[in-house]
Amino acid sequence: MQDKPSDLVQGTLDMLILKTLALEPMHGYGISVRIEQMSKGVFRLNAGSLFLAIQRLDRDGLIDGEWKPSENNRRARYYALTEKGRKRLNNETREWGRQVAAIARILEAS
Amino acid sequence: MSLLRTLGSGLQSLFRKEQVNQELDEELGEYLEMAADEKMKQGMSRQDALRAVRLEGGSLDGTKEIVRSGGWESVVDTLWRDLLFAARMLRKSPGFTLVAMLTLALGVGGNTAVFSVMNTVLLRYLPLPNPRQLVFLRLPDGPPDGLSTTGDDDRSFSYPVFEALRKEHAVFSDLMAYVPLAVDKVAVRIGQDPEEAEGDMVSGNFFSGLGVSFTRGRGFALEDETAHASVVVLSYSYWTTRFGRSPSAIGQTIYVKGVPFTVIGVTAQGFYGVEPASSTDFWIPLQSRPELNAWGEEPSLDALYGNPKWWCIQLIGRLVPGVTESQALAKLDPVFQSAAFIGLGTHDPKAKKSILAFTSAQGIQGLRDDYHKPIQILLAMVGLVLAIACANVSMLLVARNATRAREFSLRMALGAGRGRLLRQTLTESFLLVAGGAAFGWMFAISGSQALAAWSGMEIPFVLDSRVLLFTLAISISCAIVFGLAPLRMAVSVPVGVTLKISNATARRDQRSSWLGKVVVASQMALCLILLVGSGLLVRSLRNYQTLPLGLRVDGLLVFGTDPFSLHSDEEKEHFYQNLLARLREAPGVESATLLSHRLGSGWGWNSVWAIDGVMPQAPFSESMSANHVGPYFCHTLGIPILRGRDVTDADTRSAPKVVLVNETFSKRFFPKGDALGHSVGKNKPENRLTIVGVIGDSKYKRVDEKSKPTLYFPFAQHTPIPNMQVELRTSGDPDALLPSVRAVLHDLDPNLPIQKPVTQRAQFDESYSQARLFARLSIFFGVIAVLLVATGLYGTLAYRVDRRTSEIGVRMALGAQQGQVLWLILRESLLVSGAATLAGVPVAIAGARLMRSMLFGVQPGDMISFLLALFGVILVALAASIIPARRAMRVDPVVALRYE
Repeated sequence: MQDKPSDLVQGTLDMLILKTLALEPMHGYGISVRIEQMSKGVFRLNAGSLFLAIQRLDRDGLIDGEWKPSENNRRARYYALTEKGRKRLNNETREWGRQVAAIARILEAS
Repeated sequence: MSLLRTLGSGLQSLFRKEQVNQELDEELGEYLEMAADEKMKQGMSRQDALRAVRLEGGSLDGTKEIVRSGGWESVVDTLWRDLLFAARMLRKSPGFTLVAMLTLALGVGGNTAVFSVMNTVLLRYLPLPNPRQLVFLRLPDGPPDGLSTTGDDDRSFSYPVFEALRKEHAVFSDLMAYVPLAVDKVAVRIGQDPEEAEGDMVSGNFFSGLGVSFTRGRGFALEDETAHASVVVLSYSYWTTRFGRSPSAIGQTIYVKGVPFTVIGVTAQGFYGVEPASSTDFWIPLQSRPELNAWGEEPSLDALYGNPKWWCIQLIGRLVPGVTESQALAKLDPVFQSAAFIGLGTHDPKAKKSILAFTSAQGIQGLRDDYHKPIQILLAMVGLVLAIACANVSMLLVARNATRAREFSLRMALGAGRGRLLRQTLTESFLLVAGGAAFGWMFAISGSQALAAWSGMEIPFVLDSRVLLFTLAISISCAIVFGLAPLRMAVSVPVGVTLKISNATARRDQRSSWLGKVVVASQMALCLILLVGSGLLVRSLRNYQTLPLGLRVDGLLVFGTDPFSLHSDEEKEHFYQNLLARLREAPGVESATLLSHRLGSGWGWNSVWAIDGVMPQAPFSESMSANHVGPYFCHTLGIPILRGRDVTDADTRSAPKVVLVNETFSKRFFPKGDALGHSVGKNKPENRLTIVGVIGDSKYKRVDEKSKPTLYFPFAQHTPIPNMQVELRTSGDPDALLPSVRAVLHDLDPNLPIQKPVTQRAQFDESYSQARLFARLSIFFGVIAVLLVATGLYGTLAYRVDRRTSEIGVRMALGAQQGQVLWLILRESLLVSGAATLAGVPVAIAGARLMRSMLFGVQPGDMISFLLALFGVILVALAASIIPARRAMRVDPVVALRYE
């Protein structure tokens, strides 16, 4: 039940969730599957850290939850990106790009 | 926005816990189902799939716990749980809880009560709008020379000064004048019964300028002042006691010294006048008629308040917002300097210059200087009591938590973090302190009432927000100390050790017992300091009480009269002769006489008289005291006549003028003892008075004065005849004379009140009421300290004996005698008190020096006080150790060893 933040670079989970929701509203399980697929199995989320992040994003007003029928006719809570969340995602993506490029330059320099 | 959202959703989870939990359950359940569905698609059975999901992602409950603890509301939730748990724990040991709370209540309540006195006397602003703008006008160096003053020289002004200063509208938005109608109280009659009340006459802007609000009716207008209108405003408390808060009071007539006034208003509750050492009962506009002269002066035209040579007006101003005190004084000074000399004739530029100053409308004027230092010392003393109380409670907590060491260890073994335990003990101590502070507050309410009664002040000591803040501050600091002290010991015990070892030996921890002894020793040191302080104050009081007064003070009743309707001296002489004659016939009265200045009241008459036509020269030119007295003065008061005779009924207005002098006078000016027959008095020989008696020295103004040369003039021979105090001697209870006295006076004149009737003993007691208050309080503090220290020491020793039962058992099994065991325990408490004495005595010596100004006839290093305090501390130590020591002595080795 220990979550493994070392699996993910600190602070990037929020960004990944926002990115996943930028495409379409989705429920918790969908988010974790999508992240696993897109990272080709590199990132595997456990439920605790996933829902903790979702609660945090929800309270910060970056995403919005809504109960809807799911594909197999049960109820699931679907999360959608808010306007504020979209802005945050853009900022963080840009910042991430800058950092990655910088790190890459440092690593290649040696 | 996001903060609000966080707050909102947090509150939602707190208050709609069920629903939010359910939603989380549903969401996570759904997640689980979806994951399981995925696995089932790959061919797993449903059961295997669910199991696999749990293995990968952790249990549902664990996940829920993680998500739930992510929000701030979880902190509140645990706090609430801690609080409930702490309450349950305290309820389970009611004895401990009660003792701890009561101990705290004593400490906190005592401090709050004393602080409320300090607040009222020194700190609190007048309960009026914008009180910081209000300033009292003062003359620190006194008024210019050559005028009559009231005795309150540093705060009295003349009418021209008031008129000049009130026009300075750039400085004062309003300048208010008030003049007491009497030194103490004034004769008032409402309906049939004459009584006394405290009244001021005030300027027309008095109420509007101060911003006093009214419960009923209205205040004065400027026209009321200029027309000297016959209207009166009552204080709320006078309205309550005299009219039962009846609305029909408005429009009624009150006779002040026989002059009718119509009630037009009642001030709001809580307004006791601007100098609330004693509350003002009513106010009238400034009156320019001799019957109502300032300070109850003789009804002569010279004493009208408008006389520029009679400085009787007191002033309080409201500064214009934005004007600082120094700016204001700079602007006022030239105006004051020129107005001060109006009516005084030519001004000698070399003469003493009087300087205008302000004091803030804070505390109680007049008491502030007297009480400043004593209150701080009292606060320090009661602070020591609080420290002792706190030490007791923390020792109780330590002992309690030591017995809970197993509980703590168990909880740590079950996974509670140290932080969690810390929070738990902190919560418990907060709860204890909160309970103690609440009790303490109730205690302070009655305590401050008792203090008000003891100090003889007529106004209540208000428990306002400043006092509340003070209480909260000391309570919170106590709570933090208590929370931290016991915890350190509890959590520093390794988990395994405590769980493994038996109950009897689990609590053996040398360090904590050493610490306990240090705490008890410092408690005893504090107690010693307190006892030294109380000893000094009590001995001071004793010195006041046992001072020889020079007269037989028991069995004397004294009261004042004011025959304001009589104007000629002949009428007055006749009135007083008549009064004395009728009083002497009253049942129970043995003898009666008169005095113009009541003994022991603090007031007196000082001047210098020529002897045989020659003014005394230095070093004997200091002022003499004098009093007007009635017939049989010495006989009634019990003052011995050394030579010559007493005043008699024959010393009338038309008889030859005579005077009695006291022994000091006789010794100073007639060392050969031949005073009789010489004369006293100024100017012309025919105005001189013959000395016909030399009488013993007796106390005049207060009990602690040095005797001065004193003269006693037969009252009837003085012009004008002043208002006289009546002294009655009885063999029974002096207070029992009152009804017959009232009847006699009512017969003579229904308007006549009996002014302040008290026994002469009580009147003399008043001159050291402050010393009595402090002595009583310090006894009270001392008793509390002794009780607390005794219980603290007893607790520690009993606990130690309990812990050492098996050790004592072994010793006794090996042949130790009972006496040796007794010594084992007693030695410990004697060592502790010895250390306490070593630490306490130097501090007590230093502390006693600070008290010097409060002492009377006792040196700060007074051996007896120190020895008594030491004796007290040792007595406490022995008393507290006797029960534990006896218990140790009775230990049965067989039983004790079986426990191991």
